[in-house]
Amino acid sequence: MAEYGADSGGRVKGVTIVKPLIYGNIARYFGKKREEDGHTHQWTVYVKPFKNEDMSAYVKKINFKLHDSYPNCNRVITKPPYEVTETGWGEFEVVIKIYFNDPNERPVTLYHLLKLFQSETDIMLGKKSLVVEFYDELVFQDPTVMMQNILQSLRPISMGSYKHETDFEEKKEKTKQNIVSAKNKIQYEIQELNERLKQRKEMIQKLKDELSKVDEHINIEELVEAVT
Amino acid sequence: MEAGGGSDVRDILELDQGAKFMTKDALLNDNKKKPIRKSDISFKRPEGMHRELWGLLWTDNKDAPPLIPTDTNQGYKQMKAKIGISKVRPWKWMPFSNPARKDGAVFHHWRRVADEGKDYPFARFNKAVDTPTYSDLEYQQHLHDDNWTRQETDHLFDLCKKFDLRFVIMHDRWDREKYSNRSVEDMKERYYGICGILTKVRAPQGTEPKIWAFDAEHERKRKLQMTKLFERTQEKIEEEDLLIAELKKIELRKKEREKKTQDLQKLITAADSNIDSKKADKRQTKKKIHLQQKFKEVVNPDQSGIKFADFKASGVSLRSQRMKLPASIGQKKMKAIEQVLEELGIEFNPMPTEEVVSIFNELRQDIVLLYELKSALANCDYETETLRHRLETVAPGKSSTIEGLSSLSSLPETPVTPTETTPMLVTPNMTPESPNSQQKLAEAIDVIGSAPGTPNRKRKAALEQRDILKKITKKL
Repeated sequence: MAEYGADSGGRVKGVTIVKPLIYGNIARYFGKKREEDGHTHQWTVYVKPFKNEDMSAYVKKINFKLHDSYPNCNRVITKPPYEVTETGWGEFEVVIKIYFNDPNERPVTLYHLLKLFQSETDIMLGKKSLVVEFYDELVFQDPTVMMQNILQSLRPISMGSYKHETDFEEKKEKTKQNIVSAKNKIQYEIQELNERLKQRKEMIQKLKDELSKVDEHINIEELVEAVT
Repeated sequence: MEAGGGSDVRDILELDQGAKFMTKDALLNDNKKKPIRKSDISFKRPEGMHRELWGLLWTDNKDAPPLIPTDTNQGYKQMKAKIGISKVRPWKWMPFSNPARKDGAVFHHWRRVADEGKDYPFARFNKAVDTPTYSDLEYQQHLHDDNWTRQETDHLFDLCKKFDLRFVIMHDRWDREKYSNRSVEDMKERYYGICGILTKVRAPQGTEPKIWAFDAEHERKRKLQMTKLFERTQEKIEEEDLLIAELKKIELRKKEREKKTQDLQKLITAADSNIDSKKADKRQTKKKIHLQQKFKEVVNPDQSGIKFADFKASGVSLRSQRMKLPASIGQKKMKAIEQVLEELGIEFNPMPTEEVVSIFNELRQDIVLLYELKSALANCDYETETLRHRLETVAPGKSSTIEGLSSLSSLPETPVTPTETTPMLVTPNMTPESPNSQQKLAEAIDVIGSAPGTPNRKRKAALEQRDILKKITKKL
């Protein structure tokens, strides 16, 4: 891999390339408990690009660290599809570590809580698969020249249409809307509280003035008493 | 036989040794220095130095001995005084007169024969004070004092001369049968007063002589204070300590309060700028003014709230990392954020696109500001209560005269006066219900834990504080 040597052109300052990705798992119930090992579900944990692009151009390997009870729990996947399929009976956290072809880039770690159980009837019966997936973005800040070239000329993985189980576009819009409206509410309350706070401050000042006036008065009275 | 022993024998036999008296040098030194042998170039072991030490020093590489000379010429040997070698200097019982004495009395004492006829050596320690004298004319012209008669003044100067201004002794020897009792300060005042006048009067024309000042009033006060300090009872000392400690506490509390007021002002400024920035944003989107840059600079002086980590460093990172809360924000704020997010129905970790991350971070900054405002308000409420009760105790009925105070305590929610900013805040993409009809988000935040003490306790403390202050002012 001489072409990605440490001095492969240095970093390009001010360039940011974003590569969104999806990670998560699908799971399907057997319908019953398996006799031999007590397993109840088959699941697949995966990492895939959000857009129809070949990740292997910049990803060297992805390490899925499963629960310690699995034989050789570190599963290294070097080419797409980046996924691990297993059977099991319990949920646990999968540590996903993405290594890059460019030796200048440190690996990136994702944590995914493997999901098997859900209350929806069809899934419970094993008729439908459970899909739990999340969106995240790899942000390449100041990539090397080589990496920049690779990232800007990625090939599609499949010829046909490329889509995900979850409609992330819709989700994004909804999230944005929610947050913006929440911000407005909070703004309003901040303003309200601020007004009240100002009032209180004035009130405290008034009370303090009044008190010091009274105190002075008392002091004078005491002085008069002392003199006479 | 050794030399020392020999001299002893000769001494016993009273054989003349040439009347050699001992000097310190002679005592410490043999005086029988061996001539330094120049021919011997190699260094010799200094006398008295242990052989082993010399071996360590010398046998390794034949270095020169240390350059810095030692102050003894005896090498490492302890010096020993050699006593009893020569004759003692004789003493004689003889008369002497002390030149410091005026009466010429003669006493006897033992003295070295060599010192016979010399002056008494301690006479030079007798120092006499030069006390001024005044003539009758001077007294009549300048020194008259209604408090002092001429005889009394003369008596004072007599004593001054006699006891060399040792006023305590003079006070003791004061003739109380003839004259009224005078304190040390009275005497000093009169004496230094006269000295001053005399120097002034006798000074040559046109010169301004320096005069000793004696502040009798100050001295009297000082002694009185010392006496008082000395005569305090144990209870009084304890009370004083207590009062001092309380005073310190009060001052500390005062400082704290001042700091709180400052913090409050900061918070209000932060909230104001937050609202202003909102306005500015709206205006920008409406009119698309190219002043955008300017607004950005004016606004956000320093956002109170959360400092999110900067991701300026090169390298790959996950977008979701940028909305991680820094550990520095603390449990309480963290909890407040969670409570409000839950109330709003927003995920703790929303889908991290660039835009979402930035607005989500802003949202949480606002939540923290809201939290801070709320806890500040709670503190203010307590303070208002405390002050009101204090006022009520010192001046009953007074608090009701202050405008708006009664309404403040009866109505927990004061309606915000509608300002011109309100319509802008209600934006079209907001949820249909107006924020007023909904439960207040701030209600979701729990700040009770942060408010110190109950109002009752505070009020009591404030009253105690007043009493103590009164006591202290009385003391002074």
